[in-house]
Amino acid sequence: MADLDAVDDALLLCYCTGLTVGELRESCRLDRWPPADKTQSGRLCTGCMGDLTHCLRALGASGAREPDEDADLGESRL
Amino acid sequence: MSSEVSGLKSATFHGDGYEHVVELVHQRDDHARRSLIALQVEVREAGGGLLATLPVDPREEILDVADLTRPHVGGRGLVMVTFDARYDPRTLPYRPHHYAYLHRRGSGAPSLYYAVNAVLGGVPDRVGATTANNLENYLFLRRPLEERYSLLVGNVAHWATAKARVLAYYAGRPRTLDLTLEPGAHAELALPAEQDGARLERVDMKTTFRLATYVVGRRADSGDMVLFDHLFPYFK
Repeated sequence: MADLDAVDDALLLCYCTGLTVGELRESCRLDRWPPADKTQSGRLCTGCMGDLTHCLRALGASGAREPDEDADLGESRL
Repeated sequence: MSSEVSGLKSATFHGDGYEHVVELVHQRDDHARRSLIALQVEVREAGGGLLATLPVDPREEILDVADLTRPHVGGRGLVMVTFDARYDPRTLPYRPHHYAYLHRRGSGAPSLYYAVNAVLGGVPDRVGATTANNLENYLFLRRPLEERYSLLVGNVAHWATAKARVLAYYAGRPRTLDLTLEPGAHAELALPAEQDGARLERVDMKTTFRLATYVVGRRADSGDMVLFDHLFPYFK
């Protein structure tokens, strides 16, 4: 797992809610994940969900909501 | 997003021999030009390695992708080009729309115009969407064409490895392809136009998080690209 210490706080993590690495780092430090205005982080376009999960794990966030990596990727029904 | 700066990260793919021009802001305004606040363009090889970070003036309306990436493309096949934009949501309330022109030099095939795939962002919190949209699909024309099809998939994440399942449907029956992409990497999966006499009807892609995706069609004889279009999110 990559060391996040060297990552710039300003790096944008969730492009939909504007969550930065610095905000995530601070909320995890205070054990206040997710911040009130970032509850949708990772849930909108979902593109950031992989990196968000990576960072939450690296920062040891408690009660972190993570994507279901074993989610059913089987046949779809349209 | 509460601040006055929003982000949008889009991606496309570029190969040698093509004219490829991206219009950074498609929206027009009668009173003033709309432009981005900042833009960073990166070029990555198939394995995910960063080939270049390109300085771009965000006030430019048009980017010549072929010209910008020329020193980095030769002999590498397709490269992934990402556009990491910052914009003022008061100026561009529905986010910037990047559109592109694509044409193989010297080819008699028609030019292609397509919307650049917005991968990160583009769903501001005002929309209120709550459903994960990591299922995307594409429907093919019913009439048979002399074309070879494929799916281009890119992972724009910094650290996360992506898993994807691609389902190509023939007469309602799926053919499954599984794919794993390291951060920054991309791959092109061939989609046979026929299987057991049945035409390719549809392709679905399921992922644990959203990826850059395009369906590609190339003429069977010349290889000229005649289809380049991103998949569409499917909301359950």
